[in-house]
Amino acid sequence: MVAAGLYLKRFYTVVRKEVLVLPSRIIVALFFIVLLGMPLISRNPYLIRVIVLTSIFAILAASWDLLSGFTGQMNFGHALFFGVGAYTSALLNIHLHLPPWGSVPLGAAAAVLTGLIVGIPCLRLKHTYLALTTMAFPIILMGIVFALPDVTGGELGISGLQRISNSLIGNYYIYIVIMLVLCTIMWKITDSHTGIIFHAIREDELAVKASGINTTRYKLLAFCLSGFFAGISGGLYAHYMRIAGPSTLEVSMSFSVVIWAVFGGMATIYGPVAAVFILFPLLEFVRFWPEYRTMIFAVVVLLILLYMPEGLIPWVRDKIEKGCPRCKIRNVATRKTCRVCTAGLD
Amino acid sequence: MAEPFLEVEALSKSFGGLQAVKNIRFRMEQKEILGLIGPNGAGKTTLLRLLTGILKPDSGSVRFHGKQLVGMKTWDIVNLGVACTFQNMRPFRRLPIIANVMVSCLSPRSMRRGEWVKVVEARAMDALEFAGISDMALEKASSLSQGDLKRLEVARAVATDPELLLLDEPFGGLSPAETDLMAKSIRRLHKGGRFGRLHSEGPAMIIVEHKLQQLMKIVDRIVVLNFGTLLAEGTPDEVVNNPQVIEAYLGQGGGQ
Repeated sequence: MVAAGLYLKRFYTVVRKEVLVLPSRIIVALFFIVLLGMPLISRNPYLIRVIVLTSIFAILAASWDLLSGFTGQMNFGHALFFGVGAYTSALLNIHLHLPPWGSVPLGAAAAVLTGLIVGIPCLRLKHTYLALTTMAFPIILMGIVFALPDVTGGELGISGLQRISNSLIGNYYIYIVIMLVLCTIMWKITDSHTGIIFHAIREDELAVKASGINTTRYKLLAFCLSGFFAGISGGLYAHYMRIAGPSTLEVSMSFSVVIWAVFGGMATIYGPVAAVFILFPLLEFVRFWPEYRTMIFAVVVLLILLYMPEGLIPWVRDKIEKGCPRCKIRNVATRKTCRVCTAGLD
Repeated sequence: MAEPFLEVEALSKSFGGLQAVKNIRFRMEQKEILGLIGPNGAGKTTLLRLLTGILKPDSGSVRFHGKQLVGMKTWDIVNLGVACTFQNMRPFRRLPIIANVMVSCLSPRSMRRGEWVKVVEARAMDALEFAGISDMALEKASSLSQGDLKRLEVARAVATDPELLLLDEPFGGLSPAETDLMAKSIRRLHKGGRFGRLHSEGPAMIIVEHKLQQLMKIVDRIVVLNFGTLLAEGTPDEVVNNPQVIEAYLGQGGGQ
């Protein structure tokens, strides 16, 4: 009992001193709490469906950011990893009767392999050329899907997949927890030493080479990691929709990912995740006005990009927080002195 | 017979029709500081880039401790102990200065020493301390001045713990006071020793420079290039009084 009390006290101290001091951390904590407590408020199947799909795409957007936002390897064909993940898990589930906990990781493994296959020829390409080349890969795979209708189901796709869980709430929690865990892992990766090297590769690849870093290895690592997370989201999507169809490979899917990430703020991980949670439900909830749905979407995105070129989330973060000029620790914008070094905040 | 420290043999490189480096050969001893001078377009930077594997030579060989460097990847050469700085500084502008140096500290060569120096941040900080910009460690690299960017370049190269350091115009764009400081840093580095957690044996150096007066004070030997070929080689005094060198710099009859 005493030990439990101590842990509680410690937990309380950490929350008070580390989380409650910064609005951005409070928002993230609220985000976790609201998502995990959602079923207590409403069990509307439509709402739950929208949130689950949003979570799946949040993983996808964050995985794009891990590759393109951080290492600067502009991937305009991210649907490839998503589609490979979806189709592989679907095939394994339908033909080998693998349960989802086997088929989704194997789908992710297939996406990692795809990342390697795509990554190696793309190593020599930069900027526009890389973007165009990567764009071609999902289109090629789509051609293969249509060419082999016996295996892939052609236009209809592979349907009748097993659900991960048959209860509505159980399913919801599985997806939400996976999303939160994976996004935290991605954020941790980018916050590590590897993340610094990814950043540096985007800034100046030659200088990274001259610092003695094997850039080829790190770029391939980025492709594989990104493929892994996107593959998981593809597998989850297939099991949720109970179908893996050619729509997972569409060009529009690749571009949605790019739009989400750019809208939310590249090279942040939390930016794209937040962007998906804003844009995807927005697109769903303006269904009552179907003719103008896509146009509203486009106007919102354009306005954000026009006035916040760094992306929405970094812009908001700069408004509610400011860095201490001396120690660079972030503080609430309303503070007069830094919370750590007590230097004046202009 | 011991292998020579650095041996460059018949190195050539051309870009299209322009022969940038033509049949260069020279040797270098351990711990030596070699100045590399020549008029604009003489091929100095190209030569350095050939040594670090950023450019691939058309022919010739570069041996470092008897090991052939031609055909190796840049990062492998750096991990053998040849570090370089860039003439037009290439910092990672959107990263803090400390992160700029941490990239070098994460290279296998920099990570190879014992457990107690594996704290990457600490070693990066010591490299900044050596270069004299540790007070700005957390600023973005884009906020640095020219002189401090040069220092950052040096810090980044030093952090890989080089045996041979190639400096491309370390004094370029610096004020006289900054030039003096940089020359001091270079001399201090050449002496070797411990800089916090960084350990340096005192690397040999090749310095490309236009500010000859400053350069003469720190180098042991000078190699002069002109139009991609080796024009002269010798101690600073010999080179300054060489009529061919005077002609290359000032034109015919310039010495009188």
